[in-house]
Amino acid sequence: MASLGAAQGGEREAELRRRLAEAEDTIRAIREGEVDALVVRGPQQDEVFALGGQDSYRAFMEAMDIGATALDADGKLIYANAALCSLLGRSAKDLQRDGIFAALGDDAARIVRALIRDAENNRRSRQVALPCAGGYCHVEVAAAPLSLGFGRGHAITFTDVTERIETEAAHESDRIGRSIMASSNEAVVVVNRDGVITHANAGVRQFHEGSSIGKSFDRAFHFGFGLSSGLMGGGDLIGVALAGTAVRGIEATLKQDDRTRDLLLSAGPLRQSGDVIGGAIVTIADVTERRAAERRQALLMGELTHRVRNTLTLVMSIANRTIAGARDMADFRTAFGRRVEALAATHSLLAEGTWSGLSLEELINAELAPYVTLGSDRVHLALGKVRIAPNTAVALGLILHELVTNAVKYGALSTEDGRIAIGTVIDGTTVEISWQEIGGPPVVAPEKMGFGQTVIARGLAGSGLRPTEVEFHPEGLVCRMYVPLELSEAA
Amino acid sequence: MAEADNKPRKLTLYVAGQTPKSVAAIRNLERIAEELAGQYEIEVIDLRQHPHLAREHNIVAIPTLVRSLPVPVQKIIGDLSDQERVLVHLKVEN
Repeated sequence: MASLGAAQGGEREAELRRRLAEAEDTIRAIREGEVDALVVRGPQQDEVFALGGQDSYRAFMEAMDIGATALDADGKLIYANAALCSLLGRSAKDLQRDGIFAALGDDAARIVRALIRDAENNRRSRQVALPCAGGYCHVEVAAAPLSLGFGRGHAITFTDVTERIETEAAHESDRIGRSIMASSNEAVVVVNRDGVITHANAGVRQFHEGSSIGKSFDRAFHFGFGLSSGLMGGGDLIGVALAGTAVRGIEATLKQDDRTRDLLLSAGPLRQSGDVIGGAIVTIADVTERRAAERRQALLMGELTHRVRNTLTLVMSIANRTIAGARDMADFRTAFGRRVEALAATHSLLAEGTWSGLSLEELINAELAPYVTLGSDRVHLALGKVRIAPNTAVALGLILHELVTNAVKYGALSTEDGRIAIGTVIDGTTVEISWQEIGGPPVVAPEKMGFGQTVIARGLAGSGLRPTEVEFHPEGLVCRMYVPLELSEAA
Repeated sequence: MAEADNKPRKLTLYVAGQTPKSVAAIRNLERIAEELAGQYEIEVIDLRQHPHLAREHNIVAIPTLVRSLPVPVQKIIGDLSDQERVLVHLKVEN
């Protein structure tokens, strides 16, 4: 028994010695730096702690280019890395003394505090604007819970995304600018400070064949400027814009192939960040059609004025001549009224055709309709398809009016059996219109020439062709009128 | 000797994730295992993943190599960079 007890005592002593040796070896290994982690007994479970880990963690934090800080549970600063000090423009000592929230400014501090409250279990992040050296910078702030040796705290990182946001904004502006250029009806050209074209929208192709990008503005477009613009060439326009002045509605011409286009140019400076002028924007609008329409309009206005003046003169003349030949007031009223009506009828016809002329048949129908039934045996028409120019129509209308009123008063239409034949013969550049009365009372040439005769004889004198011929044959009056073919249109 | 050869032999290396000494100990043990030419069954336990396994061998410092079999249990603390010392330890106790 004694030997058994001695043996047990010996084993216990050996076990104690072994454990002592193990403990001493552990201490030695820790002291000599052979270990870098320790297992610590916790109330629930054991935890592993890295030795010297904080130093390596800090070295890592310092090497990072994003701002990082560790705060304790009360928000007190434990550590801030160099990148954060640089971002906030404060020294580490300042941050230790004043706290991180003072450096953030009121608005950002409120946001970061809220972020920390929300980040009790999970990582939370938000974008904030921080006061920085030279204005504000956009920073992505992230907060995450952090286990510290003495309790819990928070790790907060600050990533400067100003550049990214500015790049995004620049891309967005660029995109918007490009869509504006693309959607513009006008041609838009952007040139740089050297006057070289850097952008051009699709509209530019109508003024320049192929791509104009990379060419100097002056060489790409050979504009002609009016003397009043004070510009010698496209380069001058760019020069004005690069100097900071916007110019609008400069009239210019551009010769392309065999035609000249009328253009309106506008140019303005292209301002980049700050007030730096990085180039110029030029818009080119083709106003050739508009100018042509304006010229047509001006011509029509002139024509209208001329016609109204002529018409008034004609009315005055009709009145004077009618008074001279009138027996009494009633006779004057009838004759004058009819002559003015004939004038109005011709004008109405012309107006309906928007002054672009009407056919000879339409004109004859309008003038004869008040006196004779058209399509009856009394009027025989053998007309080619002749279109009458507006000026000729007015004169011809008045002549036909005089002829038909004379026929009603003294000629073929004054009897039951008289007839009128109207025909056309086209001879080279001239259209001959003949009026022939048959079956009326015997004709005697008038002793004096009234207004009616004057109108008939001279109405078409302006055409430069043969004068109207009137022959008083006993069997009936014959009248030949000559209308130039270029003023009419044979179909 | 044949009897001794049949005895189960087991080495367990306790590490803590990727700490420098843990990584070094794993590398060094791989070299020693070549030297021992398959005499031992070798296991590596990461105590960061399984902290409760520390109690079985009463591990305090990391890295620690434990020769659990044959008894008596032997512990070698450190990154096992002194290969001679490790081999002597294992053989002497044998």
